[in-house]
Amino acid sequence: MAAPLEGGALRPHKELVKTVQLEGQVLLKIIQHCSEALPQLVTGQLLGLDVGQQLEVTDCFAFPAAVAEDDVEAESAGANYQLEMMRCLREVNVDNNTVGWYQSANMGTFQTLELIETFINYHENIKKCICIIYDPQRSSRGNLALKAIRLKESFIELSKEQKLTLKGFREANLSWRDIFVELPVKVRNSNLVQALVADLMPAPTATQADVDRLNMSVAPFLERNIQSLVESVDDIVQEQQKVTMYHKSVARQQQAYAAWLQKRRQENTQRLQDNLEPLPEEDPTLFKPIPEPSMLDNYLVTNQIATYCDQINFAASEAIQKLFMMEGMQKAGL
Amino acid sequence: MAATVLLPCGSNVSVKVHPVVLLSICDAYTRRKENQDRVIGTLLGVVVDNVIEVKNCYVVPHNESSEQVMVDVNHHKTMFDLHQKVAPHESIVGWFATGSDLYNSDALIQDFYSKESLHPVHMVVDTTLKDDKFSVQAYTSRTLALGDKVLATEFVEIPCDTIIGDIERVGAELMLTGFNDPSPENKKETANKSFSDEAETLAASMGRLADLVARASEYVDSVASGKVGGDPAIGRYLADTLALVPHLAKSDFERLFNEGVQDAMMVTYLSDLLRAHVALAERLGTAALPIM
Repeated sequence: MAAPLEGGALRPHKELVKTVQLEGQVLLKIIQHCSEALPQLVTGQLLGLDVGQQLEVTDCFAFPAAVAEDDVEAESAGANYQLEMMRCLREVNVDNNTVGWYQSANMGTFQTLELIETFINYHENIKKCICIIYDPQRSSRGNLALKAIRLKESFIELSKEQKLTLKGFREANLSWRDIFVELPVKVRNSNLVQALVADLMPAPTATQADVDRLNMSVAPFLERNIQSLVESVDDIVQEQQKVTMYHKSVARQQQAYAAWLQKRRQENTQRLQDNLEPLPEEDPTLFKPIPEPSMLDNYLVTNQIATYCDQINFAASEAIQKLFMMEGMQKAGL
Repeated sequence: MAATVLLPCGSNVSVKVHPVVLLSICDAYTRRKENQDRVIGTLLGVVVDNVIEVKNCYVVPHNESSEQVMVDVNHHKTMFDLHQKVAPHESIVGWFATGSDLYNSDALIQDFYSKESLHPVHMVVDTTLKDDKFSVQAYTSRTLALGDKVLATEFVEIPCDTIIGDIERVGAELMLTGFNDPSPENKKETANKSFSDEAETLAASMGRLADLVARASEYVDSVASGKVGGDPAIGRYLADTLALVPHLAKSDFERLFNEGVQDAMMVTYLSDLLRAHVALAERLGTAALPIM
């Protein structure tokens, strides 16, 4: 099914990834790698297959901790590492398809420019790629903070055309919400592994995770979140100021241009009187058009704010639930 | 002189395995080549005192027939180098094999691995599910020598345990709760539940805690009524635990409770306010217009 897009090019309607299925061992590997590497943030590669609308991740491996990125040698070493690893894994029949990457995030913030750039890089070669974000600090409170995201199709096209300005976004009818799409994640295990899991953990009695989850102290987590929220608001104010500056400088440029044009016209009438060639009224070199600032940063920060707000809401509602439970128990005389 | 494998302090070594390793081994077993019966590979980990902690593993292709066994050493070395870049503190602690018994060629492979590490551990993961049980056994080897001639290598079993770190417990619990769904289709590879609703898991936690408390109180009741002989250690432990419950005066508790609730509500209010503000700015377009 082909759908004509702007520009007249016919592009086949690709099946978009709608769900992600993880193997149990991928989940555990990601958890182990990310939590052991704290406080450093780490990344790794995801391997698997895409089956229609579902992306199956069957294996993963970790990347060595990033060295200074300006070093060309380090970059080629990283690429070498990847190639070697893929080659070795192919020898043992592991799916050799890259389907994305995973990274650990701090307090759930992953909306950075690098992420988008990485996505776009991946997108050149692999159409369906996802990124798994794991938050090891939030997981220590008893909930598994893992989510899979991908960029929205329309956003990718827009960025390819380099039209990341306000006008571009308005035209494409995108808002800041439309940059990332979160995908539902499922965990799947082969039968053998299910037998193993059943054997390892026979009866679910109250475990340490339960104790963590029922922990009453929510203040530090909230404090950190609010701090980051305040920083994000500062960022967004900065972005707004940039836009203001842009508008002001455009206005100033217009004024200067109008003044210069008038002067030119006066000169020209003078020269006509003197029977000389009139000078051109345009001078492109003097008034270069000022580039409009990209709205991308603005939108990314807005996304971050939304994430923080969600986290805060969730933690606060959990805290309220726990408090009310305590009250109930207290009333019952426990 | 025959090379004897020195065991640290006699045979007090024990092995602790992370579930990641076991899952990887199962996965590798599922993916093995058609003519192979079993899969072997290297174990990576750390050694702390007398406990060998196995944290990671990778498969090494090998070929074995009744006469000889060939292990792809290159692959093994390359993978080890790659893994060293990511986790430099992990070292080779041994090797694993799937299957239910020890093979003759194991001695040779054990020999090869003893060149890599001081006291390699051989782990046998029973993927054939003999006796309807998934067993993981660990062995360490001892050479039997008569004077100068090395006669045989003996594998001595050592205790092997699976540990689940705190963080992994969350993930592992998730996999288990999915599995507890009644799924009679054993032939099909069933997909587990997706990450369930967060609020639900809080209720589940409370349920489990309530279960625990009920069991403890049942035990105490039966001891009090003389049905079961009481164990003083358990009794003391229970008394200590109960003493930890803070005994607050009613006014104190109300104050704490109100403060907590107010904090949480205020924070929720602030975050909702911010969200509304951002949404409004977007609608009115003021986020991108100059602030006149």
